[in-house]
Amino acid sequence: MVAEGALAAGCRFFAGYPITPASEIYEVMMRELPAHGGLALSAPDEISSLCYCVGASLRGLKTMTATSGPGWCLMIETVQYALMTETPVVIALVQRLGPSTGGATQGAQGDVGLAEFSTSGGYTIPIFAPSTASECYELTLHAFHWAERLRSPVILLTDKEVGMTTEVVDSGTSEAPECVERSMATDAATYAPYGFDHPGDVPAFAVLGGDVKVTVTGSAHDRHGRLRKNAPEVIEVLLHLQHKIDAHAEAMARARPDLDPNARCLLISYGVTARASRQALRILRAQGRAISFLQIQTLFPVPRQALEWALAGVDNVWVAEENLTGQYRAALAPFLSGKRVHGINKVGSLITPGEIARAVEGWMD
Amino acid sequence: MDGLVAQAPYLAPDAPLPYCRGCGHALVVRHLSRALERLGLPPRSVALTTDIGCVGLADSLFPHLHTVHTTHGRSTAFATGMALAEAVLEPKGLPAQAGLKPVVLIGDGGAMIGLLHLVHAAQLNVDVTVLVHNNFLFGMTGGQHSALTPLDFATATTPAGNSTPPLDLLALLRAAHAGFLARDYATSAGLDTLIAEAIQFPGFALVEILELCPTYGTRWNQLTGAALQEIAARQGYWIGKMEAEQERPTFLKVWRQDKETRKSKIENGNSKIEEGQTPGFDFRASSFDFPSGELRVVVAGSAGERVQSAAALFCRAALAAGLYTTQKNDNPVTQGTGFSLSEICLSREPIEFTGMESPDVVMVLSQDGWNELRANGTLARCRTETLFYLDSELPAAPQCGLPAKAGQVVRLPLRREATPKGAALAALAAWQVQAAILPPGVWDAALTTLPAQRREEAARSIKIGGRLATGTAPCA
Repeated sequence: MVAEGALAAGCRFFAGYPITPASEIYEVMMRELPAHGGLALSAPDEISSLCYCVGASLRGLKTMTATSGPGWCLMIETVQYALMTETPVVIALVQRLGPSTGGATQGAQGDVGLAEFSTSGGYTIPIFAPSTASECYELTLHAFHWAERLRSPVILLTDKEVGMTTEVVDSGTSEAPECVERSMATDAATYAPYGFDHPGDVPAFAVLGGDVKVTVTGSAHDRHGRLRKNAPEVIEVLLHLQHKIDAHAEAMARARPDLDPNARCLLISYGVTARASRQALRILRAQGRAISFLQIQTLFPVPRQALEWALAGVDNVWVAEENLTGQYRAALAPFLSGKRVHGINKVGSLITPGEIARAVEGWMD
Repeated sequence: MDGLVAQAPYLAPDAPLPYCRGCGHALVVRHLSRALERLGLPPRSVALTTDIGCVGLADSLFPHLHTVHTTHGRSTAFATGMALAEAVLEPKGLPAQAGLKPVVLIGDGGAMIGLLHLVHAAQLNVDVTVLVHNNFLFGMTGGQHSALTPLDFATATTPAGNSTPPLDLLALLRAAHAGFLARDYATSAGLDTLIAEAIQFPGFALVEILELCPTYGTRWNQLTGAALQEIAARQGYWIGKMEAEQERPTFLKVWRQDKETRKSKIENGNSKIEEGQTPGFDFRASSFDFPSGELRVVVAGSAGERVQSAAALFCRAALAAGLYTTQKNDNPVTQGTGFSLSEICLSREPIEFTGMESPDVVMVLSQDGWNELRANGTLARCRTETLFYLDSELPAAPQCGLPAKAGQVVRLPLRREATPKGAALAALAAWQVQAAILPPGVWDAALTTLPAQRREEAARSIKIGGRLATGTAPCA
């Protein structure tokens, strides 16, 4: 469904390297993309995969690659390059058990921190996290939309359990957003490849090979892409890289709330654990307990408004995620001040609805 | 063409160059500029793609070319991406000649850290030209030795002389089937002609340019005026253009030629099950009793015995009956040995949790499957109500220590009757007959989703399963 979403979004270039549990996306793209007028290619490693995508994106194509944790580690250099050069690209990161090669055929949600906090300087990389096959489709479309709209790398963060589980999908119920094309330069004479009036603006794009002269660089640069040291404009460009994400944070925010206005307890989850959480919610509510639930789909930037609404009247918060230390719980901490925050964490296998329900019950009783 | 070049010179003849006095890089950019002028390439049809190091300072010297300053060693990979994109842009009606020519400027350090990218670009034969500025060391960072430093050459990190033999880039890329390979000196008068030839070459072309770093190369080495020639001779380096092993079509040409063949191959020969194909069965016409809530089934056997594909077919049957299903597979990292298992959920409502807190039905087809269910904790989570289908070759129930109460264990000669590869499907079919979970006709609907050559065999396994089910009562 990630591949389907990519094709629907207009992805026309894919470079991949085999890795469980992301190989299915690679295989489907190799099979389907040529029929859609695109090119899918086997790269010799993950570094090349993402470099090829960035090179093709500079030529104006919508591009994607897919990998898992070990491959993602190799891509971080080029993700930063895409961020710095404001080049749109989508990376589907299908998580598996780590650290290192870990467990290729075991699921995990252990790469949240590794994915988000992978840039020097701490810039926000938008991350969408689907929990079902339908959401894989929808959120892939969102990922492409925002990659193109913001001229930024965007991550679709899924895992073995979502990525490799087959399920029945009601076609036609998907909420597919309209995918924008990146905004293009119109005036060659005044064009600046990294030009913006306000820091939150997204610079117009000019295709490499077109009539408008393009200057691309991963080094600290001014609006025209010129290397400058100690120039205030370079700092302005760096700040702009974050401002353009912040300025669109609420527009990017996606969450599925299931709130009880009387609840003083809130369960938060994402990805595959959101599924177990929804089932746990049914168990808890069947016991007559007042509890709210928030599934976060846009992990980063953190959807503050949705979080604020869900937190109204709440004094206890549980964050359920399949990693050891609560990586997303830590990222949410600044938004949860004054609340008692509990982690529901596990590695090696799915967190079950029973485990979540018992953790919440244990406190409530 | 001359007019265009006159308006947009590639490198202004009087441009101040940012290199140290006597640096070979200055010679190379002048040769490059002359080569581009000679070819008369429109400036916007060239993407000067530069690597990290002093070599990366060239961007600003060519104000009319597209320039891409990249990360260390990756310049060739980015350039390859640009060249590959041509395959997709082509349908928009751009003639091949109007495309973009990436020209990569990389140093000896970058060539080694990005060696894989050079090798793959050569293998693909993408239309990319690479100029390797080999000055035998890392200049920008203080003169450290590189993988291309000649034997005995002194650098900041090999003060007594380098003792590791240098990589012969040309010999290596020849093995990667590069079509155009050449080596020359930065001081050579004919270098511009050679560079022009490389750029004009349709496909991957690499020129290794030998030069000396005037800051570090000359600092620790006693060098004569003919130092470059002496060094090249000592390494046994080929100078000039190498004869290509044979002419090869570019990636783009192969891609375009293959397009039609590939399309028909996929359409005719693909034996994969059509992804997302819905079985042709009108489930709305059929009413049947399916328990409320979810039904969770585990099927466990050995790799290569079609456990997961049997489960997939069963899910399609359930889909034909209008149910929601999920199928979660597991196997060891090796694909063809050890266990193979599928966990299936069935429900009238969309399914949230796809795991197995406690299964309702467990089917075990081989010892591998049994061992895994014990190891992963599935057996420990079974209830006394859990229904077991066991192959009769497995140890008898009491020895297995099953929690099942009487009447909950069905033992069938699945492997013997349906063959090991048909056992999983036969077990599912047997359960379907005994428990009547799905309405009749759904197997037929599911079978239509299989490729023709697999259909008959699957139908036989289903039939055997049904026959075994009717002839056997559950026993403890």
